[in-house]
Amino acid sequence: MFLLLPFDSLIVNLLGISLTVLFTLLLVFIIVPAIFGVSFGIRKLYMKTLLKIFAWATLRMERGAKEKNHQLYKPYTNGIIAKDPTSLEEEIKEIRRSGSSRALDNTPEFELSDIFYFCRKGMETIMDDEVTKRFSAEELESWNLLSRTNYNFQYISLRLTVLWGLGVLIRYCFLLPLRIALAFTGISLLVVGTTVVGYLPNGRFKEFLSKHVHLMCYRICVRALTAIITYHDRENRPRNGGICVANHTSPIDVIILASDGYYAMVGQVHGGLMGVIQRAMVKACPHVWFERSEVKDRHLVAKRLTEHVQDKSKLPILIFPEGTCINNTSVMMFKKGSFEIGATVYPVAIKYDPQFGDAFWNSSKYGMVTYLLRMMTSWAIVCSVWYLPPMTRETDEDAVQFANRVKSAIARQGGLVDLLWDGGLKREKVKDTFKEEQQKLYSKMIVGNHEDRSRS
Amino acid sequence: MGAAHSASEEVRELVGKTGFSSDQIEQLHRRFKQLSGDQPTIRKENFNNVPDLELNPIRSKIIRAFFDNRNLRKGSSGLADEINFEDFLTIMSYFRPIDTTMDEEQVQLCRKEKLRFLFHMYDSDSDGRITLEEYRNVVEELLSGNPHIEKESARSIADGAMMEAASVCVGQMEPDQVYEGITFDDFLKIWQGIDIETKMHVRFLNMETIALCH
Repeated sequence: MFLLLPFDSLIVNLLGISLTVLFTLLLVFIIVPAIFGVSFGIRKLYMKTLLKIFAWATLRMERGAKEKNHQLYKPYTNGIIAKDPTSLEEEIKEIRRSGSSRALDNTPEFELSDIFYFCRKGMETIMDDEVTKRFSAEELESWNLLSRTNYNFQYISLRLTVLWGLGVLIRYCFLLPLRIALAFTGISLLVVGTTVVGYLPNGRFKEFLSKHVHLMCYRICVRALTAIITYHDRENRPRNGGICVANHTSPIDVIILASDGYYAMVGQVHGGLMGVIQRAMVKACPHVWFERSEVKDRHLVAKRLTEHVQDKSKLPILIFPEGTCINNTSVMMFKKGSFEIGATVYPVAIKYDPQFGDAFWNSSKYGMVTYLLRMMTSWAIVCSVWYLPPMTRETDEDAVQFANRVKSAIARQGGLVDLLWDGGLKREKVKDTFKEEQQKLYSKMIVGNHEDRSRS
Repeated sequence: MGAAHSASEEVRELVGKTGFSSDQIEQLHRRFKQLSGDQPTIRKENFNNVPDLELNPIRSKIIRAFFDNRNLRKGSSGLADEINFEDFLTIMSYFRPIDTTMDEEQVQLCRKEKLRFLFHMYDSDSDGRITLEEYRNVVEELLSGNPHIEKESARSIADGAMMEAASVCVGQMEPDQVYEGITFDDFLKIWQGIDIETKMHVRFLNMETIALCH
C-alpha cells in the first residue's frame, strides 16, 4: 500500500501547475505567432538588451586593459593588401608598350619585364593568402561573452567574470532546454502535419494547408534558434518556376529562407531523422530528393530539375551553388549546374552578424550535432536577408559567366568579398588544371609570337 | 610592463629600418607567425603552406629570393638556411610603394634597389652577370607549366631574347666577340625609361573595422 505523504502531493501539484504555465506561455508567445507569422518583438528587445550588456562589458575590459597597458583590440581587416585586378595579358602588354620606343614593328618574344607580373603575384600571395583565411571563423573585434572567439581573454575583474559565468549558466541551463523543446515541437509538428496533409486529395485546399504547415514549422524552428532576421526587398521574392540561389554559411540558411517563403527543396536522401523528415515533407508537396547514386550523374540531376522548373505550377527550387559552407566573409565559386537549366534565377544574399554567435559550420572540424549544440548555446543568431531582383541568362553568356554574374551581385549586396576560388579547396589541394591555366596563358602569348615570327 | 615597453621599441626600430608603418608591421608579424607556425624563423618548407603560390611558375625563384644573402644584405653570395622576422620585412620592403613625398634622388635609389632584387633573381650563381644559361633557365621555368612547349622552343626563345639584350647593351658585335652576360649596369640600361615603380609594389590597405548589419 502506498502512503502518499501530503508533502508528495504538494510537489506533484506544483509540478503540474508549472508545466501547464510553461505550455501556455509556449503556446501564446511562440506557437501562435508562428502560425500567423506575426511577432511580439520579444526577440528584438532581447537583442537590444544583450547589446547594452556587451557594450558595458567591453568598456570594462578597455578600462582594465588601459590600466595594465595591454593591447586589447586587433584591428579586423579583410586582408592586408589590395590585389591588383589586372590580368596577365593586360599587364605584360602594358609593360612592353612602355618600353616599345626601341622597337616598334617587331614584337619581342620574351622580355626581361615579363617576370614582373609573376614576381609580384608571388609576393602578394606570400603576404596575404585568400583561401586559408576564408575557412576559419572571422575574428571578432569585441568580446561577446561567449569567449569562443576572443583569444585575448584574461581575468580582468570579478564583476566581468561573474557576468560571464552567469551568461554560461543562462545559456546552458535555461535557454538550451527551452530551445531543444521548441525544436522538438517544430520538427514533430512538421512530420505529423505534412503526413496528414499528404492524405488529402490533390487540389487547392491541400496546397494551402501544406504551405501553412511548412511555414509554421519553420517559424517555430527559427524561434528555437532565437534567430532575429531582417528581410530586405521582399517584393523580389522568388516565384513559381524559378530557382532561388543563395550563399551558404550553415545548414540554418535553409530554415531562414524557408520561413519566409514556400520552396521546393533539393537534396540528397539521408537516413535517420533527416530521412524521416524528408519522406514526410515530400508527401505534402513535391520536393526533389535524389538518391546517393543519382547525385553523381549530372545529366540526371539537370533533367529532373529542368522538368520541375518547366511546370509553372511547381514551387521555386532552393539551391546553394557553392557546394559547401563558407565563413560568411566571402562568396566562392558557384558550381554551374543550376545555371545551365535556363530558368529565371532569383539571387538571395544572407549575411550573419558575428557579434551574437558564429553561424559558420566548419564541417571538417565539427559534426552536425556538435554544430547544432553550439548554435543552440549561443545568445542569438542575427542575420540579414536581401532578395535581389531576378536575373536570366543572356544569349551570349555561357553558364559559367552567368554563374559569376549572379555571384558578384550576391557578394556586392551582402558586403562579402567575391572570390574565384573553389570552395572544395577546404578539403582538397589545388586542382592541377587550374595550375596549368596561368602557365598556359603566358606560354601561349610567347609561343604565339614566336610562331608568327618564324612564319614571316 | 617591461615586456610591452621593449616590444614597441622593437617595432619602432623596424619602422625606421624598413619604412613600414607600425600597423603594417603588426599585420605582417601575424602573417609571419602564421607562415612559420609560431616559430621565430621561417625555412623554405614553410612556404609550401601557401596554396596560391603553387600556381606561380617561378615560385622556386621567389622563395629562393627570400633566403638570398644579397637580398638580405648579409653577404655577396650564398643562401641562408632560415630567416627571422626582420629579414622577412627586409625582403618585403623591396615591394613597398614609392612614397610620393620622396625627392628625385630617393626615387632613383628605390628604383635601383627594386631592379637589383630582380637582377638577383636572374643571376643565380651570384657572379654579377646574367649568362645565357641563367637566362634560358628563367625562360624554361616561366614556360614550364605548358606540356606542349618543347625544351627546344624555350631555348630558342631565350637565345633570341638574349641576342636582343646584347644588341642593346653592347651595340654591334664583332663576329668572334663573345658576349659574356648582362651586368647590372647593362640591366639598368635595358630598363631605362620603363616605368617599373607602379609595377613592382604591393598596395597596403587601410585598416578598418567591419561594418555590422543590424
